Order: sequence, then structure tokens, then C-alpha cells
Amino acid sequence: MRPAAAQAKPKVTVISQWSSGSDGAAITALGKEFESEGGIWEHNPVPGFTDDMMNKLRAQIIAGDPPAASQLKGPEIAAWSKVGAVVDLDDQVKAAGFESKVSAELARQCKPAGHWIALPIQAYRVNTMFVSKKAADRVGMTALPKTWAEFNTLAEKMQAAGIVPIANGGLKWDDCMKWDVSLIGISVDAYRKAVMRLDDEALRGPEVLAAFRQLRRLADWSDPGASGQHYSVFIPRFMKGEIGILLMAGWAEGLYKRGGFDPTNYIAGPTPQDDGRVAFDLNADCFIMWSKKQPEFQEGQELLAKIVMRREFGPMYSQITGSLPVRTDVDLSAPGFTEAQREAARAMVEAVKTDRLVLALSHNMAQNNAMTAAMVDVMAEYAHDRRVTPEEGQKRLVAAVATAL
Amino acid sequence: MWLPLLVSCFYVVAFSLWTVGLSFTRSSLLPDYSWTGWHNYSAILASRNWQIAYTNLYIYGIGFVGLATLVGLMLAILMDQRIRGETAFRTIFLAPIAISFVVTGTVWGWLFNPTIGLQKLAHDIGWASFHLNWTVDRDMAIYAIVVAAVWHGAGFAMALFLAGLRSVDSDLLKAAQIDGAGAWRTYTRVILPGLGPIFVAVLVMLLQFAIKTYDLVVALTAGGPGLASTLPAVVVYDFMFQRGELGRGSAAAVMLLASLAVVLVPYAAWSIWRNRRATLA
Repeated sequence: MRPAAAQAKPKVTVISQWSSGSDGAAITALGKEFESEGGIWEHNPVPGFTDDMMNKLRAQIIAGDPPAASQLKGPEIAAWSKVGAVVDLDDQVKAAGFESKVSAELARQCKPAGHWIALPIQAYRVNTMFVSKKAADRVGMTALPKTWAEFNTLAEKMQAAGIVPIANGGLKWDDCMKWDVSLIGISVDAYRKAVMRLDDEALRGPEVLAAFRQLRRLADWSDPGASGQHYSVFIPRFMKGEIGILLMAGWAEGLYKRGGFDPTNYIAGPTPQDDGRVAFDLNADCFIMWSKKQPEFQEGQELLAKIVMRREFGPMYSQITGSLPVRTDVDLSAPGFTEAQREAARAMVEAVKTDRLVLALSHNMAQNNAMTAAMVDVMAEYAHDRRVTPEEGQKRLVAAVATAL
Repeated sequence: MWLPLLVSCFYVVAFSLWTVGLSFTRSSLLPDYSWTGWHNYSAILASRNWQIAYTNLYIYGIGFVGLATLVGLMLAILMDQRIRGETAFRTIFLAPIAISFVVTGTVWGWLFNPTIGLQKLAHDIGWASFHLNWTVDRDMAIYAIVVAAVWHGAGFAMALFLAGLRSVDSDLLKAAQIDGAGAWRTYTRVILPGLGPIFVAVLVMLLQFAIKTYDLVVALTAGGPGLASTLPAVVVYDFMFQRGELGRGSAAAVMLLASLAVVLVPYAAWSIWRNRRATLA
């Protein structure tokens, strides 16, 4: 044991893109908890999109001075672990009994070479649907549509009543997300084969074609004036009932709260599933630990890992951001959680049990950035160009996958 | 004197050569020096991003450079008429160039937006058949970018042309006046031909504005409905950093440089040849 006087305080330098809003508040809260346990917390957020943070990370790794921990997710964890030395967290994970408490897909991503190198901190359900209460009342909707056929009928009713059925900002990942949830709703199995494994036969199959057809319908029901704007621009109109349905992941609730809208203004639930069973499209953020030589950083990393794997961490972090804790054994009855979050968490537990949890393509979870970008481009072009038929869209997707491989 | 020259030449040439080298490697997230031949080039040429961006570059390049030169020249000729408040007008017309491309793109994006911009304004004042939804129309999105860029750059062209117009020898003007030439003749036969070098300077400046346009596209249309208004600089950044494919991004950058070189190198050669002929004559 080292003499206490000579021991430096555990220190950690963290970079992430969470500089403001509910994400910024949550990571600040994590920092406070870290400091209350006797550590020194240094968080340098890089405002902007994820690539700005990645650029800073790349620069620091090349310079030989990586941060102790950084935000990363999806297949990028595997890709980046090849360019910089990472810390093996196997012992700590085993001591905390963490692996059995998180979904196998998530664990697989954090252990690209069989050893834990990253820790998930929050999860979101991407296949979530919000229906404006005012719009629902105007068309007499009593229950959320369960299948895509019911959804289409509801959207047609809304359009006939003069409501814009779908809110779509027109951002590329937004367009691709709609295709993702369409395909998951049609067949979880087809999604796994086509999107996660890039199986050529599945990509050319009828389910993918049906998803393109559904995306065409969704694009037609969107506001024609939507031009590359973030979906949050449409939230006020959504709450007023001028726009009927918002297909967005759970983080939208964080934005509703900041906009001052309470849960009575909308009805939340999963997007339609044609086979009636629960499916969960996962987007999760992780912290990856980069290898540092100084002992205070190593201790800081151990402390950070300990805090993040605790049962109490999930509820603390997720109440601020509107996400779901990654552990399947946490209690969400605290008033800081909305009913929608509780329902999504229950869906995650069930999906983990029945193996119907898939990774979101449009949020860089299913494939690495290059493949994701190639596929997202196909969806974005398709959604904004009525001249492209679903068959042509499918052909382009197959070609894009082949080029990016 | 030669040391700063050497350093700056090295700075430009060495890094460009390194990018050319990278374009032949299999670099993805970080530079990786394994040879991959022309693979990056064929991948880029086959991607729809590049094909659309390259076509857009021609439309945007010709539109922006042509219109900005024309508008700048018109404004300069009008300003040259010894009007009152010339300084004020010059400041007004030159002000847009001081505004960053991001702000230009954002504000023009709002103006072009059918639900909150000019189209809505026209509808509100009663002109219901007015349509200006270029930024949501796949075929017209690139022209929206041309308009915003011309607004930004015309003032600069105007300033250069005005300086050129003012520097025409007043003896020539007086001679033209004595010979009875009207304003139109004076301009087209006496003044504009003397502006040759200024034209070249303006064209070169505007051309390099056009080639490096990135933030205007991102701020105005985020690449357009789908990919409709993307430009090569956007594609280079997208491949290099967002997709983590340094090799392909470098290949795109080299192809952009090559397409410029195809235009500029023959022009430079012709210029040198012409000067040599003039000195020999």
C-alpha cells in the first residue's frame, strides 16, 4: 500500500461533445460525483457534432497524450481501439458483476477483442413514436397504432383533417432513422441480416423493399417546407396539434421538458411492430478508457469505472438527459422519470430477454462511420426525391454497401 | 529573403504532396502507409456524392463567378458616376463580404425557407402565387447557394472594378469626350478594355472563393435536399473526417486540385508564351 501522504488524488481528463443542455448538465453532475469521491475531474467538451470531438481525440492520440476517458460509441469503439492503446477493464467489470446486467449487444460492442475497453453510460430507444395529444383528439385516435397498416390509416386521417401527419426536419440521419424503424417494424430478423450483417440477400429482399415503400409514404406525409432543419424546430407546432406524429428517439423528451411542455401534451410509445412483439432499437453512449502511464490517471479511470457501473449511476444520469439506464436491474419509480421512459426501460428488458434488441443504423451503432454514411446518403436522397422508386432505392442501397465495404 | 520564401513554398508544396501520397494509401482513421493504387480514386468517382458535387461545382462556379463579376461591374459603373454619398454606398455594398459564410448561409436559409421566409412574406401581403422554395427543391437548391454567394461576393468585385475604373487615364477620357463619344461608347471602347488585368484578378479571386465553398453549403442547405446541393469541398471534409476515410478524402481533394490545374496550367502557359512574344516583338 502506498503511504497516504504520497498518494496523488485520482484524476481524469474527459472529452465529449456534451457541452450544453441536458447532456452538459448530466456530465457536470457526474463530475461532481467524481469529485465528491475524492477525485479531480477535468472535462473538456468540444461543442458541435461528434466529428469535432473525434478530430480533437485523433489529434491528442497522435500527439501521444490521449485523454483518460472519452465519449465513443458503436463500432467506432473497435475501430479506434486499433489506433490508440486502451485500458483493459475486465477485472473491474467482473468485480462489479456488470456484464450480466447489460444487453449482450452492448457488451459485444464494448469488448471488440474479447476484453472490456469501454463502459456504456446511457441508452436510448430509437424506435419511439410521439403523437400530439391535440392532433390525436381531433382525429379521434384512442390508442397508438400497433402495425404499420394502422399507422398509415391514422396518418391519412390526420392529413384529411388538415394536420401535417409527420414532423420531419429533413436532416440526413432523421431520414435514415425513419427507414430503420420501418424495417424493424416489418421484420426484426430482416433488419439484423440486412443492416447489421450486410447480408446481400437480405438487402435485396422484400422486407427492405417494403421499408423503402413505407419511407416513401412517411416522406410524402412530411411537411413540404422542411429543409434540412433539426426536428426540434417543429416541436412547438407539434404540441399545438398542427403536426401529428414525431418519430424520434427518447431524447426528444429532454427537449420537450426544456421547451416547457409536460407529458400530457403527447402520447408516447413504440413505433408500429407488424408482428406485435416488442423490439428495441438501441443507441447507447459509452466511455472508452485510453491507456495512460501516470498513476493518478490510472486511479482516476478506476474510480470513474466504479462510479459508472454502480446501480445508482443510471437513474442519476438518465433523469437529467431523458435516457435509459443501461443496467436491466434498476428501479425507475423516481418522479424524475417520465412514464415513457419507464415503458421504454421495460421494453429493453423484454427485448434483451427475447433477443429482439437491434442496433440503430442512423446513429452509428450498427456499422462504422463510413458504411453508415454511405447508407444514410441513399436514404436521404431517396426521401427527398420522389422520382426515385422504391426498387431503385433498394438497388442504390445495395450498390452503396458494395462500394463502402 | 530566401528563407521565408523557402519555408512558405515548402509549406504549400510539401503538404500537398503528402495529401497526394495519402490518396494512394489505405488510410482510414489515421494515416496508414500501405499502398492501394487507384482504389480510392475509383471509389470516389463511383460515389454519387462526388458525381453530384462535381456537376454542382460547374453550375455554382460559372454562376457565381459570372454573376458576381457582372453585378460587381454594374455596381462599379453606377458608383463611378460621381454620385453623392458614394462612401456610404460603397460601405453598404462592401459590407456583405465582412459577414462570415456561416451567417450568410443561415440567414439566406431562413429567407429561402418556404414556411418562414420570403415566400411566406409574399403570401402574407397578398401575393399568393409567389413561389420561392428553392432550398427544398432538388433541382434548384444549388441556385439558392449561388444567390447567397453572389450577394456575399459582388461587393468585393465592385470594389476592385471601381478602383480599376478610377485608374483609367483621364487624358483618354477627355480625348473620347472631345471626339464626341457618348457614355456607352466611352465605357465599351475606352474604359473596359483597359480593365483587362482587373478582370483577371477578380476572376481568380472569385474562382478560389467558389472552390473552397464549404460553410455556406453546410449553413444554407446542409448539403441540400438529400445530396442535391453538395460541393466538392463538402465531400472532401465528409470523407476525411466524418467518415474517417482519409485515403478517399485525399483522393477527392487531389481530383479537385487536378480539375483546377487543367484550367489554370494552360492559362499560365499561354500567359507566359504571350509575354515572351510581346517582349520579342
